[in-house]
Amino acid sequence: MPSLLTDLNEALANVVSGTMASLVQVRDERAGAGAGVILHPQGLVLTSAHVIQGRQLHVGLQDGRSLPAKVLGRSPGRDLALLDVEAGDLPAIELGDSQSLAPGAWVMALGHPWGVPGGTTAGVVIGVDAHLPEAPPRAGELSWIAVSAHLRPGHSGGPLVDHAGRLVGINTMMAGPNVGLAVPVEDVKGYLHDVLGSRIVERRESMIV
Amino acid sequence: MSDVLTQLSENMAAVVQAAEPSIVRIEARRRIPASGVAWKDKGIVIAAHHTVQQEEGIGVFGPGGERWDAELVGRDPSTDLAVLRLKDGELTPAEWAEAESVKVGHLVLAVGRPGRSLQATLGVISAMGDSWRTPMGGRVERYLQTDVVMYPGFSGGALLGVDKRVIGINTSALVRGVSLTLPTSTVARVTADLLEHGRIRRGYLGVSAQPARLPKDHAQLLGQETGLLLASVEPESPAVAGGLMLGDTLLSLDELPLRHLDDLLSALADRAGRKAEITFLRGGEVQSREVTLGERA
Repeated sequence: MPSLLTDLNEALANVVSGTMASLVQVRDERAGAGAGVILHPQGLVLTSAHVIQGRQLHVGLQDGRSLPAKVLGRSPGRDLALLDVEAGDLPAIELGDSQSLAPGAWVMALGHPWGVPGGTTAGVVIGVDAHLPEAPPRAGELSWIAVSAHLRPGHSGGPLVDHAGRLVGINTMMAGPNVGLAVPVEDVKGYLHDVLGSRIVERRESMIV
Repeated sequence: MSDVLTQLSENMAAVVQAAEPSIVRIEARRRIPASGVAWKDKGIVIAAHHTVQQEEGIGVFGPGGERWDAELVGRDPSTDLAVLRLKDGELTPAEWAEAESVKVGHLVLAVGRPGRSLQATLGVISAMGDSWRTPMGGRVERYLQTDVVMYPGFSGGALLGVDKRVIGINTSALVRGVSLTLPTSTVARVTADLLEHGRIRRGYLGVSAQPARLPKDHAQLLGQETGLLLASVEPESPAVAGGLMLGDTLLSLDELPLRHLDDLLSALADRAGRKAEITFLRGGEVQSREVTLGERA
């Protein structure tokens, strides 16, 4: 029995179950659901801007609750949106560092691909760059994280995590059949400052730094 | 660090190598050959139904390129499984494992033999769930989805766990665009049926039905909100012989609640030719009858 593979599997399953706790469903009045991730125990949820095109938003938690959500900010340019739900003690994800993410590093993407709850896919980082041949350019020369993972409708807004289960990106789209694109977490941090302002961010500082 | 990667690569290659003798190429359609896996019984090969398009002149090719003639034992389009028997030959049976041996996030390897040599791709278990029904009505014991890339001809191949055992048979045809694996338990059940009967026997009642809301009192008493209203009853069917009538609302079959059409389909699945106790609502009264089920052609 190859013990390294067994150990690796246990580690991967732990990353998945840890990340799964912070994974949410984001629904509007349209059919289908996108994904989102809990950033703060008191109800801050991050998702992709393209996931929330409707008005009546609900966030589905892993414990089965579905809560109405308020939009704190929505940036189509960054393809990020920040939601607020009335809840406490939610399992927030730990933020990682996308700037030191090296090509070849192991990452996992969670979401609800084709409506399958908690669907997980894994791959390696292809690169973190503003200029990728098949990727659409982002506003303001912002970077993408390109990964060899198959993102599907329903993965959008969900977490891309590193080997330790830390958030490194937000699943956004595919570029061609085999390259997944995610918004880097560094961009998320900047976005949080923009939306919440430094004062509020400090109050919720535990998650930022 | 590189030691770990070397070890990892060698471990992965060892998993594929262990399964290699049991993975075969199947030529039973034009152009792209497909894959198959040696079952526990001698000379029995599991394949994907959609890749077996001819019933005569089926060829099975082993690891060394040797060719055997094979006959089709039977097929079950509803689960996309087919069972072949080598006319004169034996294969090394694969080691089969239940889906309970893996979790979401675990590494898995999909192997196939669309060409002469074995091919493998790496992925993780994406999602697992309870039993489900395929679009064609087949019952599958566990929902098992992976993110492995299914190359052409990979259907009918094996999904391998890191313990070198086969978790199930891969198919890309059941649900488009999704890599699904039929778990060993489903393969075992369907294969046993096909070996015994040459087909999947499914129970037949001879009705069409639709879900209907139950009156409040009955709903509370029975603990179910809906039953199945009979919209038509075939003449001379098991339903008629058992005394069921148009307008009856079926409530349960052998104490399995019938809330949706799916419930009836799955209750009938394993009961071909057997007697079943059916309770129903007629004229505001709960009645029950013993019905001898037929077999669906």
